[in-house]
Amino acid sequence: MMDRATHLATSGDLPIGVSVCACLVAAASFAMLLVEMRKRKRGGPLIAGTGLVAVAALLAAVLRPVRVTARESVVGARVVVLADSSRSMQLVGDKGQTRCAAREEAIAKLRTSRQIARLVIFGFGEGAPKPLPNLDSPGQASCDEPRSDLGAAVRALVASPEERPVAVVVISDGRLDDPPEDASDANLRALGGALRVPISAIATTRVVPADASVRRVSTAGAAVAHVPLPLRVEVGCAGSLVCDELAVTARELRDDGPPALLASGIAHVKDGKAALDLTVVLDRAGARIVEVAIAPQRGDSIPENDRRLLTLNVARDRVRLLHVAGRPTNDVRALRRWIKNDASVDLVAFFILRTPDDDVRASPNELALIPFPVDELFQEHLPSFDAVVLQDFDAQPYGLEKYLENIRGYVRHGGGLVMVGGDNAFVAGGYAGTPLADVLPVELDRSRGATGADTSSFVPRWTTEGLTAPLLAPLRNLVGDELPQMPGTNVLGDIRRGSIALWSHPTLTTKSGAKMPVLAIGDQGNGRSIALGVDGAWELEFSQLGARTGGRGHGALWDGLLGWLMRDPRFEPAQLEVVGGCTAGVPSTVRAHLQPGASVDSQTVTLEVNRIDKSQAPTVVTRPRPADSLSVDFLLPQLAAGGYVARLRTGDSIGTRFDFSCEAGGDEWADSRPDPARLEALAKETGGAFAFASDAGLLPLPKPTVLSAERHVSPVAPPWLWTTAAAIFLGAHWVIRRRGGLS
Amino acid sequence: MRLLAIVSLAIACGLFFILPTPAHAFGDSGAFDPRVLLTGNQTGPARESAPERWSWELVRRTSAPARLRPSVIHADDPAIVEAPFVYWSGDAETAPLSGAEIAGLRHFFSLGGVMLVDDAAVDERGDASAFGRSARREIARVLPDSTPIALSVEHVIFRTFYFLRRAEGRVQGPPSFDAIVRGGQAQVLFSEHDIGGALARTRSGTWARPVVPGGETQREHAIRLAVNIAMYVLCSNYKDDQVHAPFLMRRRALSAQ
Repeated sequence: MMDRATHLATSGDLPIGVSVCACLVAAASFAMLLVEMRKRKRGGPLIAGTGLVAVAALLAAVLRPVRVTARESVVGARVVVLADSSRSMQLVGDKGQTRCAAREEAIAKLRTSRQIARLVIFGFGEGAPKPLPNLDSPGQASCDEPRSDLGAAVRALVASPEERPVAVVVISDGRLDDPPEDASDANLRALGGALRVPISAIATTRVVPADASVRRVSTAGAAVAHVPLPLRVEVGCAGSLVCDELAVTARELRDDGPPALLASGIAHVKDGKAALDLTVVLDRAGARIVEVAIAPQRGDSIPENDRRLLTLNVARDRVRLLHVAGRPTNDVRALRRWIKNDASVDLVAFFILRTPDDDVRASPNELALIPFPVDELFQEHLPSFDAVVLQDFDAQPYGLEKYLENIRGYVRHGGGLVMVGGDNAFVAGGYAGTPLADVLPVELDRSRGATGADTSSFVPRWTTEGLTAPLLAPLRNLVGDELPQMPGTNVLGDIRRGSIALWSHPTLTTKSGAKMPVLAIGDQGNGRSIALGVDGAWELEFSQLGARTGGRGHGALWDGLLGWLMRDPRFEPAQLEVVGGCTAGVPSTVRAHLQPGASVDSQTVTLEVNRIDKSQAPTVVTRPRPADSLSVDFLLPQLAAGGYVARLRTGDSIGTRFDFSCEAGGDEWADSRPDPARLEALAKETGGAFAFASDAGLLPLPKPTVLSAERHVSPVAPPWLWTTAAAIFLGAHWVIRRRGGLS
Repeated sequence: MRLLAIVSLAIACGLFFILPTPAHAFGDSGAFDPRVLLTGNQTGPARESAPERWSWELVRRTSAPARLRPSVIHADDPAIVEAPFVYWSGDAETAPLSGAEIAGLRHFFSLGGVMLVDDAAVDERGDASAFGRSARREIARVLPDSTPIALSVEHVIFRTFYFLRRAEGRVQGPPSFDAIVRGGQAQVLFSEHDIGGALARTRSGTWARPVVPGGETQREHAIRLAVNIAMYVLCSNYKDDQVHAPFLMRRRALSAQ
């Protein structure tokens, strides 16, 4: 809004310094006159009066006043309001309303303040602040950011090319990620220093809710399978809730049974907080969901933060592999040499070097043979292995039959199994119809007189899936489509559901008429298995093909097979992530990054999400496979707090598993106490003001700027008139002072 | 009695058709093959029946399959890279290897192949013959960056199947082998014991050569050494695995008593 205004000014041709000097000289002249008047004989007031008029007239002659007429407007200072949009603002604040609602009220009070300022309102949370819409009702406000990073918001303002604000006002509950609770005054000062403007603060909340919570869980280092992992659990009681001790438990959420208790302890609360060190050991590698919880407390107003869910990516220090071979052959030699050359594999090997029929012609003490510890291996130590390789091994003579059920359970609970062909494998090894056959990727013919093997030489053929499978890409890069001739094959049945064939026999077919698989892989519950129906893989090393490839084909094959078995990301058909994390009660997005070439013939991609305790029906989302992108987003509905297992499938390919957890509130709810003191300190250190939300309208804002337009300048009188008047008044003053006895 | 025999035969026949047939699917492709290596004008091994007997003893004494009719390969034959073991024996100085032979052997070793050089003309004191000396010279041309070292009797090759206190063949020779070790593996074993001489049989089925000075006991030790070498080829350092260590230490202590 613009108003017309008129005021006086000095002549425009005078520099401001000259005008000031003139004023000073005039004042000095009059002062000297007053001093001189002590020598007067009479007529003091008259002398002083005429002197003052004469000095004023002389000053006017120098300054030559002008009249300025202009249209003026008042522009408010640009004030950026950073309103906390994190999920902690969903918590209850003062007077029973949420902190988010208090934030909206504070914004409304700032907007209706009598102070003139241009308010630009952003919501801050994670990363750069985002413009906050002007909502009609405070109830519509959304506070769902997973973090409250004021530091990032301020840095984004500094980097912004837009007009720099004159001041910043922060509206928050004070429970900020950055600056943290223990930030020094210097750190707070630096935050304002970055923008070089004061930061004022409005605290939304005074009241501390009655709440016991797991405030923070931190791990010392990375989680490694079978290695103790220290957990530091910080808990607290706040508000009117008083607690002396809190029972803390750490459990692994599993989809193959009830949660497994990993550790527990009692935290002794002092001054409302306590820390407890627990040590957990996770046996399986991969994504594992660990729940850290406190026992429920009576009167706890926020029970959702009584537990935290951690998704730990458990690494393998080394892959622990059990290699059992029925007899030493070139194939056994090649596999062992490859495994032993891989420093990341911890190998436990047992080869049957002597059967009861062999005539060793020596006493036992002359033999460097040890008994095959079948009971020890397959009863006690089986879970400690990441994978088991049964190579040309007949279960019957060595008492393994009674443990085949153990192996089935081991695979379904997440273990890996490889059966490698030979005279004593698959049907010929007596595995058809056994529990172990249930976790192979192929059917085994259990009928009477079933054929165990085919003796004709052949060259395996790549299947369509084999040509695109990431796990065989290293081999294909070496050998192309070529494979060595195999001396024969175990007879394998149809591919089981959830499995695929990578190589097939060129002529043999299964009962269903499909090409007989030679190499097949498949998911088995939480584990994986591989069936390799030949014992000639060593010819990838020792053959003309092997010679052309430096013998690296054998290693490339097993690198892919074992890597896939261990869920090496290189060999997974896709990588999955939850974009922005998963919050209970909020729709989330799972993004799949597909491997180039993985099941390219499939037109759709399907994601199945199961609650880890299987307490709900699965959520299945199918999306068309984009033609121009390798990323597919799956929008999931609101999920309840808990652990989830997502499985992605593209066509008939093997799925990719991804475990994740959804928390109610997450970090933002872990510590529900508001922290107005931190906001007040921030305001103090940066030269801003502080107020609670109820007094937001009183928060002092920078003064506005006045802008002039259509400015007209006209002299009050012509210069000769000022000069003449000065001469007349000086002359008059001269006469009067002479009469008063002054020179 | 006759009825019982008939019934038993019938049951046996029935079981033959009912039970899964054994899978003799893979022939002897992956079996141990003591391939005879020929170089220059060589036409056969110094001890013609030794490789066959080696396989026979291996199959008889262990679970390892072996080729009862071992193959013969020339050093410059491209097929030298098709199996992981060659057995080079001779009783006369070997001619210098040709470029193709050297290339073939280098290719073989680069894939991890193992060679046993068996000096058939070694004297009773174990001093190398012209073959032994010339074989070392030629292997040095094939693997110029590697030098033979003496294997200790603690090497895994002396306990891959049998506990052995020393190496022995037709002659007692030195207690151990010299070997070229590459990548942790003994790739070339130089035997100055004429192991083939201890294994060789006549057509009538008797031992072809006497074993000195230990006689038949020494021959048995030589056969055991051959079995151990085959097991080393097939299992490499399997018996060095930590899981075997405590048991084997106890067993060795017992056998030493």
